[in-house]
Amino acid sequence: MSTAITVPDDLWEGDNEGVITAWLVDDGSQVNQGDLVAEVMVEKAQYEIEAPATGVLTIVKQEDEVVAKGTTIASLEEK
Amino acid sequence: MNMPLAEPSTPLLRRMSVEDGLTSEQVLLEMVCEGGGDALALAWQPNDRALVMPRRHERIAAFPWVRQALQQQGWPILFRPTGGEPVPQSPQVINVAVALRCRVSSAARHLEWGYRRFGDPWCTWLQSLGVAGADLGPVSGAYCDGRFNVRIAGRKLVGTAQRWRRVRGCRDMAVLVHGAMQVEGSPAELVTVVNDFQAGIGEPLRFQAERHIALREVLPDFRGEMIDRLLARFPA
Repeated sequence: MSTAITVPDDLWEGDNEGVITAWLVDDGSQVNQGDLVAEVMVEKAQYEIEAPATGVLTIVKQEDEVVAKGTTIASLEEK
Repeated sequence: MNMPLAEPSTPLLRRMSVEDGLTSEQVLLEMVCEGGGDALALAWQPNDRALVMPRRHERIAAFPWVRQALQQQGWPILFRPTGGEPVPQSPQVINVAVALRCRVSSAARHLEWGYRRFGDPWCTWLQSLGVAGADLGPVSGAYCDGRFNVRIAGRKLVGTAQRWRRVRGCRDMAVLVHGAMQVEGSPAELVTVVNDFQAGIGEPLRFQAERHIALREVLPDFRGEMIDRLLARFPA
């Protein structure tokens, strides 16, 4: 089963776009639900993105890519 | 609750290395996440120097060379958890950090909420000390510019940044809001360090010292204990 990691809709107000400033785990890594996996920055604010499920990480959006709220940035495949 | 991270008998403004200051700010956020209070504050002044930036700058091709060059000039590079661009830290600067826990159930408690809850008390504190013309806004030509600098007459006094974290096991979120204010000396010295970094990484953008202001310029009688009154203005 695959679970998408998206930029949550409630992270910031308005329609501003953010930038993925860091992936904190490598593509293909096993992560656990709740692990901190990425950081997104908007207006000098860094938001922490957690894994919504346990699984193997496939990164879709790379560091320095621009993302909007709701954007899928990675997926987690349960093995 | 304002939490000084110090014995009650000592002044709230603490002096420490830049590295320890950055660590203390992260501890503040973790304490709020772990139920140590809904609002904690910390004020610290470096006893050494560093150019502080988010870790993403490490990916710049020329970064290792620039880091070495600045280290040799007495400006080691350190990383911080909040967003933005490079900011010089030195004994001329006072930092204030506030960690807040909140329920993000509406758009009311978000990025702008965090900046205003931090910046508005800073402006009223300045006003109470007789400093006129303080407000929040961008400063073109200043380093690490943003929409929520504390300005005096349009010049940047305090740069602000944030880090947001979801609190485990509930819908609460926690935010660390940080402000760095140059108190002493001329802004030119600090601007030069940032411009040296810009030049080293091949970035053509340069910043102007006259777009910044040091507190002493408008408040010659400033004393460190006045920071206590700033901390008291943050929401408990």
